[in-house]
Amino acid sequence: MLEVKNLTKIYSDGTVALKNVSFTVQDGEFLVVIGLSGSGKSTLLRCINRLIDPTEGDILWNGVNTTTAGTKELRVIRRKIGMVFQHFNLVKRSSVMTNVLCGRLGYVSPAATLIGRFSRQDTERAYRAMDMVGIRDQAKKRADELSGGQQQRVGIARALMQEPEMILADEPVASLDPVLAHTILGYIEKINQQTGVTVLCSLHYLDLVQRYATRVIGLKAGEIVYEGTKNDILNMTDTQFKEIYGEEAQRVGTGSITGGTQL
Amino acid sequence: MNTHPSVRVLPPPAAGLLSLIFPGLGQLCTGAVRKGLLISTSFLTLTALGLWRVSVLAHRETGWIDKLQKALSRQPGFMMLVILLFAAVWLTSIWDAYFLAQKRKKDRSAKGRNIIFALILTHFFVIGWQIAEIDLVKMVQKFPDTIPPLLKILMPWEAAIHRDRIEVDAKARILVDSEGEIPPVPEMIEGQPYIQVEPRTGKLSRMDSQGNIVEGTAVTIEGSGYAPLTEVQIFWNDAVGNAFRPRIDGTYAGTMTDAKGSFSYRMTMPYRLVPPSADGPQYHTVEGRQLQGMGSPKPSEPLVLTVQLIIETIFMGMMATLFGIIFSIPISFLAARNLMFGSLWSKILYYITRTILNIIRAIEPLIWALIAVVWVGLGPFAGILALTIHTIAALGKLYSEAIENIDPGQIEAVQATGATKLQTIIHAVIPQMIPPFVSFTIYRWDINVRMSTVIGMVGGGGIGFLLVQYIRLLDYRSAGIAVWFIAITVSILDYVSAEIRNKFI
Ligand SMILES: Nc1ncnc2c1ncn2[C@@H]1O[C@H](COP(=O)(O)OP(=O)(O)O)[C@@H](O)[C@H]1O
Ligand SMILES: [Mg+2]
Repeated sequence: MLEVKNLTKIYSDGTVALKNVSFTVQDGEFLVVIGLSGSGKSTLLRCINRLIDPTEGDILWNGVNTTTAGTKELRVIRRKIGMVFQHFNLVKRSSVMTNVLCGRLGYVSPAATLIGRFSRQDTERAYRAMDMVGIRDQAKKRADELSGGQQQRVGIARALMQEPEMILADEPVASLDPVLAHTILGYIEKINQQTGVTVLCSLHYLDLVQRYATRVIGLKAGEIVYEGTKNDILNMTDTQFKEIYGEEAQRVGTGSITGGTQL
Repeated sequence: MNTHPSVRVLPPPAAGLLSLIFPGLGQLCTGAVRKGLLISTSFLTLTALGLWRVSVLAHRETGWIDKLQKALSRQPGFMMLVILLFAAVWLTSIWDAYFLAQKRKKDRSAKGRNIIFALILTHFFVIGWQIAEIDLVKMVQKFPDTIPPLLKILMPWEAAIHRDRIEVDAKARILVDSEGEIPPVPEMIEGQPYIQVEPRTGKLSRMDSQGNIVEGTAVTIEGSGYAPLTEVQIFWNDAVGNAFRPRIDGTYAGTMTDAKGSFSYRMTMPYRLVPPSADGPQYHTVEGRQLQGMGSPKPSEPLVLTVQLIIETIFMGMMATLFGIIFSIPISFLAARNLMFGSLWSKILYYITRTILNIIRAIEPLIWALIAVVWVGLGPFAGILALTIHTIAALGKLYSEAIENIDPGQIEAVQATGATKLQTIIHAVIPQMIPPFVSFTIYRWDINVRMSTVIGMVGGGGIGFLLVQYIRLLDYRSAGIAVWFIAITVSILDYVSAEIRNKFI
């Protein structure tokens, strides 16, 4: 269980990215975070695995307070939280295999990685992860030779290597076309449903939100302005929408599950 | 565009008059401030440049009128053109000011025309042509002078091989212009060259009372036992033993041996004054000399020196690159914006580092070499020092840009897996750094070797020093060897560095 309590993040330049945010995520949920660009979605996800240090508030994960974790504790916390990025963030010049193996870094000793060796088990695990997202035959290619969709699958395989209990996905399909978006979210959903991994995912397309989310929170200017279940989002009203997306936002194709309805 | 009839604009004739007083003034007062200033300063500069060139052309004359006349007589074409352009710029500025004022009466922001700038530019180029002492006639006329040295430089290879040589000769006596015993046919000695001359007596060529040459007896010289297919030089020794090489129609007497080392040569006996005191039989000696190569051909001294110095040159480039890398890596961190924009102090350090790097880079390695020669004396070390200084600045900047271009996303992703700092550096930072570092370093090595080929010209060691020496000694063939080696080395380097860089990008 993940508990976010009164989380506030103020960047060094004074930008208030998150304001007193609190919510709880039960194990196995597929929680979608929606909100305009700049509303604080990325900041929120990065606070959870401490890529960003929160200014105030607590994050309890399975009872452990991540905000006060030391270097060693943090390593143990992070390796159980996989992360998937909008721009994939693969090490472009390394091979697909090396990128997937990177997901194991939290488990191996730094001395071993100095020599650049991973164990046989890790290599086998990498092949299994690649099989799961259908990229085994790309293993030897350089990461930047792959298409966007393939790169994101490498990103998912890398997260899988961590044997995660939770996956943070920061707009994982925002750089992909709608068909690919379904494929990628399909993989994440499969992981969520088959292994019970909790998913926190920020999304931009309403139909994707309605299709995959089990619960939704809406951010606006760093504050939670909406919280709802799958049913709630299917029946979302225009007023609630404007709350999240501002006056100028139009809701196109209400409730539509097909097509790329963009908020 | 809005029209403001209420705004007062200088009347066109007044604007023209102002530009007559000084070009650009009219435009300035009509409100075209920048245009006016540009015209005035250009005009001032052109006037000053013109006067300077006139006084250079007539440096001995005192009055300006005298100077002008002298300059006109020395370079009439240039002077006329300059005076014409001078007048044209002045007049055009008057016309332009008038025209502009007229237009601005209707429209405050009217632009006018820019013909005057074309004239000013032409004027600058005409003066520039003269300052640069461009002389196309000389260039074409003197070109043939460069052909012989150029050919030697292009085809220097005969100077690249050296063979020790030994001179062999054989002699045969002949009775000349006198009565006496005809000398016998020379004896043949095994393993030695041999000649005989027929007939063994005859008359030398001589000069009659009108000064015409009367041809002497024709003789045939038969030789054998020489090196095959090699030149034999014919020498003539008079009675007192003075050897000289007769000339037949301007070319020296001599021939090539055949494949067996024999030859047969026909010539008329040469003209030679017989000492007046001589009486009795006069015996002259005919001699066939040959220079024979001894042992196997060896590389010549210039070739050996060139090879040694080209190796020195390549290593100078390598050492300078190595030292450059060592120093520029830490410096590049100080010059990387993304690392240094934390605190105020690091920001200041960043700007100081950047400025110093820019200044060092702005000074050419050749100039650094001049300084280094004063510092550590002539030789390759001075060259390495100069190149290292320049390399540190150049690589420091390139490396810092590579650091600035690091993708934080890749680092973030590896961090998120629970990787330690060290693991993050190994798996996310280094893979991003290697390609630009390798590429920039190879590129710099390439430049450094190129530079070390010329840095010797100012005493910094390497092949350049040798090249300059050979050219000063007019030894164009040896210079040619050096030039060829430089060209070959640089081309190979070019290819290799391009290949390596392609592999890493
Ligand atoms: N490193 C940073 N320094 C300062 N301000 C930042 C930084 N990162 C994000 N912000 C600001 O914080 C706010 C929230 O950004 P972000 O979390 O990226 O929103 P989202 O992911 O929803 O687009 C924005 O106003 C953004 O400009
Ligand atoms: Mg974002």
